[in-house]
Amino acid sequence: MTRLAFRSLASRPLRTTLTVLAILLGVAMITGTYVLTDQIDNGFANIFETSYKGTAVQVEPKSSFSSMEGDAPQTLSDDLVAKALAVPGVDKAAGVYETAGAAIVDGKPVETGGAPTLLTTDTGKPFNQSVLVAGDEIQGRNQVAIIKSFADKTGLKPGDTFTIAGPAGLEEVKVAGVFEWGESGSLGGTVVIAGRLQDVQRWGGEPGRISGISISADPGVTPKELAADVKAALPTGLSVKTGEQAAADATAETADAIGSFLTPVLLAFAGVSVFVGAFIIFNAFSITVAQRRREFAMLRALGASRRQVLTSVVVEALTLGVLASAIGIGAGLGVAKGINLLFKALGADIPTAGIALEPRTVVIAVIVGVGVTLLSALTPALRATRVPPVAALQEGATLPPTRFARFGTITALAVTALGAGSLAFGIFSDGGTNGRLLFMGLGALMLFVAIAMLAKFIVRPASRVIGWPMEKMAPISGRLARDNAGRNPSRTAATAAALMIGLAMVVFVAVFAQAMKGSFSDAISKSTRADLVAQDQSAFLTVPQATVRSLEKVPGVESAAGVAFAAVKVKGGGILTANAVDPTVWAKVWGHDWRRGGSDDLFAKLDADSVILEDGSSIAAKVKAGDTIAVTSQSGRKAKLTVLGFYRDQMAYSGMMVSLDTLKKLDVPTAAGMMLVRTDGSEGTQAAVQRALAQFPTQKVQTKTEYLDAINQQVDQILMMFYGLLAMSVVISIFGIVNTLVLSVHERTREIGMLRAIGATRRQLGQMIRYESVITAVIGGVLGTLVGIAMGYVIVTQLGGDDLMFSLPWLQLVVFLVLAVVVGVVAAVLPARRAANTRILEAIQYE
Amino acid sequence: MKSTAVQERDHTSASETLDRLERQFTPEADFTPNGNPVVQARGITRTYGKGDAAVPALAGVDIDITEGRLTAIMGPSGSGKSTLMHILAGLDQPTAGNVWIDGTEITHLKEKRLTQLRRDKIGFIFQSFNLLATLTADENIVLPLSLARRKADEAWRRSVIEAVGLQNRLTHRPAELSGGQQQRVAVARALITRPAVLFADEPTGNLDSRTGGEVLDLLRRSVDEFGQTIIMVTHDAGAASIADRVVFLKDGRVELDEDRMTRDHIYDTIKNLEVAR
Ligand SMILES: Nc1ncnc2c1ncn2[C@@H]1O[C@H](COP(=O)(O)OP(=O)(O)OP(=O)(O)O)[C@@H](O)[C@H]1O
Ligand SMILES: [Mg+2]
Repeated sequence: MTRLAFRSLASRPLRTTLTVLAILLGVAMITGTYVLTDQIDNGFANIFETSYKGTAVQVEPKSSFSSMEGDAPQTLSDDLVAKALAVPGVDKAAGVYETAGAAIVDGKPVETGGAPTLLTTDTGKPFNQSVLVAGDEIQGRNQVAIIKSFADKTGLKPGDTFTIAGPAGLEEVKVAGVFEWGESGSLGGTVVIAGRLQDVQRWGGEPGRISGISISADPGVTPKELAADVKAALPTGLSVKTGEQAAADATAETADAIGSFLTPVLLAFAGVSVFVGAFIIFNAFSITVAQRRREFAMLRALGASRRQVLTSVVVEALTLGVLASAIGIGAGLGVAKGINLLFKALGADIPTAGIALEPRTVVIAVIVGVGVTLLSALTPALRATRVPPVAALQEGATLPPTRFARFGTITALAVTALGAGSLAFGIFSDGGTNGRLLFMGLGALMLFVAIAMLAKFIVRPASRVIGWPMEKMAPISGRLARDNAGRNPSRTAATAAALMIGLAMVVFVAVFAQAMKGSFSDAISKSTRADLVAQDQSAFLTVPQATVRSLEKVPGVESAAGVAFAAVKVKGGGILTANAVDPTVWAKVWGHDWRRGGSDDLFAKLDADSVILEDGSSIAAKVKAGDTIAVTSQSGRKAKLTVLGFYRDQMAYSGMMVSLDTLKKLDVPTAAGMMLVRTDGSEGTQAAVQRALAQFPTQKVQTKTEYLDAINQQVDQILMMFYGLLAMSVVISIFGIVNTLVLSVHERTREIGMLRAIGATRRQLGQMIRYESVITAVIGGVLGTLVGIAMGYVIVTQLGGDDLMFSLPWLQLVVFLVLAVVVGVVAAVLPARRAANTRILEAIQYE
Repeated sequence: MKSTAVQERDHTSASETLDRLERQFTPEADFTPNGNPVVQARGITRTYGKGDAAVPALAGVDIDITEGRLTAIMGPSGSGKSTLMHILAGLDQPTAGNVWIDGTEITHLKEKRLTQLRRDKIGFIFQSFNLLATLTADENIVLPLSLARRKADEAWRRSVIEAVGLQNRLTHRPAELSGGQQQRVAVARALITRPAVLFADEPTGNLDSRTGGEVLDLLRRSVDEFGQTIIMVTHDAGAASIADRVVFLKDGRVELDEDRMTRDHIYDTIKNLEVAR
């Protein structure tokens, strides 16, 4: 029986290959996800290990909490360096000042595609672990060393000059040397520019301040002992760690961020691919088991038990699963590279190191590959066991239904109900985000299965509709294609369902993005009273509030306001964004959507001790106007703020509105991350404002429309990345269509031979198969589009509340449908050729 | 493949239909060949395999098929009947030799021309009825015309349908038709294009003798009434007895070629050939 299984695989090499491919690609995605995230982990581990290699002890300010948005830079006084140096056992101590900035080469800010431009201190030996590859050490004022990836990109050489834009404005610097960093030589796309401490402090506008102290030990002193001594000698409230510990902590923190975000997102996409693959395996096995009906009957007539028939099919599935997993793991290494390239193409250059195929990855890949294959082949295998011996004498290739078949529709409806229930539970329950996402995912999964089960009822009418234009173009090929697509509705339905899933996800993502874009534009358009928006959209450099106020002197400007963003921890409300503004001008540039009786007048009352809460924030439900909330800033300062009122805004300014004075009180920088400027509408004001910001060349002054376009472009970029990741499942569903068609062509060999004999041309046969393929693909495409829209509608209206508005991305939907047709045409290439090449003589003698 | 035992049973249980057919069609009666060969074959050899393993399926066959006649090709199993028919119909290429259909040499025709030829000059009837399950009887009948994007000549279509007696089955699908009815649809499908020659490979092989008789009757009438040229490969002496001419093959050669043979005569010939083996 086992031998029979292998024989069956070998006798249908194309089906075997296509089935293996279907599951292989999903396995490869899973493997690729783990390999890539492990590589990124390794990459960061390597970077941090390198940076702390010569450091025995590292002193840093302690952050009271860390937020998703990145921690606000905190600094220490640089006289701590002298104090540290005085500790017995300390060999050297170097103060480090770091800040984000931008590089301006040939008058243009250098685009990093989201990666930071880091202005940092050259700490010298032994702390500086970079390797100089060109030029010399830094000698004097405003000389810098630059990382090689940046030098390569811009063509800067030792001796060249360029401009640095720091928080304090512009400075001209001269390249002294070019260095490489760690194993990979770079930090992904991050630009690193190192200078002398006092220079960097000046660029950052914080002379006398440092971000940390690196300390090396005298011979014979262990880092641990030294850390304890340094801690004892310095003021409390500082983080003092051994270099090793600092590296490990930093590595763990990034690994955590990756593990809680990137890994699950990538795995979700891999999961979609595996799920699509499962459909294809199910279908492939259903078809071949049906085609081998006589063979099974013959075996049964010869005395094979049901169990033996089952074994032969299961062994076949097992072999496929093992084969697919093995190749899939290998291909996963390529997928890891592919995803990384995709990120890079979209501007996210993440550092990676080594080829990281952990045993855990292999185990998961094999379990998924083999498990899904076995599970998907189980129903067809059970049907094979139900072939009665007498079938050996009968014509035709229909299988006896399983015991549950007559409950098929009821089962499908039950699965629908269950899926809808799970989805609803996920949407409406109050549980944790992960749990809710899981229920929603599970619900969507079940709905897909149910739709695939029910789709057989619409296959015939749908074929008629979709086939209609084809019949007009080529009457007989179109007619036959339409008939063939409807001949075995369950088969066509399952094949179409595979494409449906991938496309539904694509459409869902598109609908969601559309809602995001539309709602954001809408919120901005409705609320803003400003005409210009200025922001550094790549490096997020800030502008001092004084500079913002000075913009009001620019001719044509009526009022200008800057918003500073800070993360604060709210007692009983988690971490929220505090949007800090000058209350005297804010209402002139922004009109909030007031709730619970709030109005613009509230800003008149907004002072250092009060707050206006966003009504959808976690704390808003628990308090009313007049209550106080307790907040803590990242620098550890605490404040009690009186709630003045509520507004609704989940798009632009979620969290809360506070005054700049509150930030000062909380010891958080008040520089503006965003500026809103109201003009009198006179021409040239935009250019004038831009000129007024000449010291901040990374700030882009845009009209409202330009600003929205830029935001939309960013959403589109993310959308593109999702499309890229979903492309795999669409590719897999193409294999599914190819497989079904190839098997159908095989099944209809005799019929095709007859058609040729009575005068059908090769072209007509090819056309027939192509049309059948397109009909299947379009059914999948239309279903997918409808399901995707439905999912998008539910999620947008239910989860988004009244903040997200549902609208349809018509143009994209049309593109997707065209894509479905293309999928059909592409999938038909091979089967159509096979059909056209059918040898009449062999076909009509074929048994 | 059929065993001799089965043939014998077929023969001995020959139905009244066949008797009636034989009575209706008396070979001795006024037959005038009009002398136009529709299909001509010269020096046909066909060898399967190469070298030591070579199997000569046809070893030099010359044959002329005259217009408006029903020619039966008979012979023991493996004698090359199907191979000859396939080569005459342009479905297979001979190892050597030439075939002309309606004056066109076909052994060197390109794929496109061959398809054209099939559309215009050739009709097929297979042993298994080979209808398209999804099309109605009527649609199956006009399928060759649809493929050629031609319209059926209404009068001709009506006479063909009438001849096969399927007037009130036209909207049925093959699954709703009996085997005999299905084969009659196949015959109608072959006649609808008025082919120069109609090939039939054991057209009654899958039918019982009564329905088989009906199909033979139909073939006979299409020769008599429409002047259709038919080449029919058969194992069945009864079937061959309605032919104007019977060609016996043996080991890839023409062993006997005779006009108007009776069933008994054919039956004896078969026996002799088997014994001679
Ligand atoms: N594709 C093939 N490959 C090799 N040999 C073949 C092939 N087709 C036929 N033959 C051989 O050629 C010879 C003639 O075969 P053919 O099918 O023409 O016989 P037949 O007279 O039609 O027999 P039957 O009455 O059994 O249908 C046989 O010996 C057969 O084994
Ligand atoms: Mg034969």
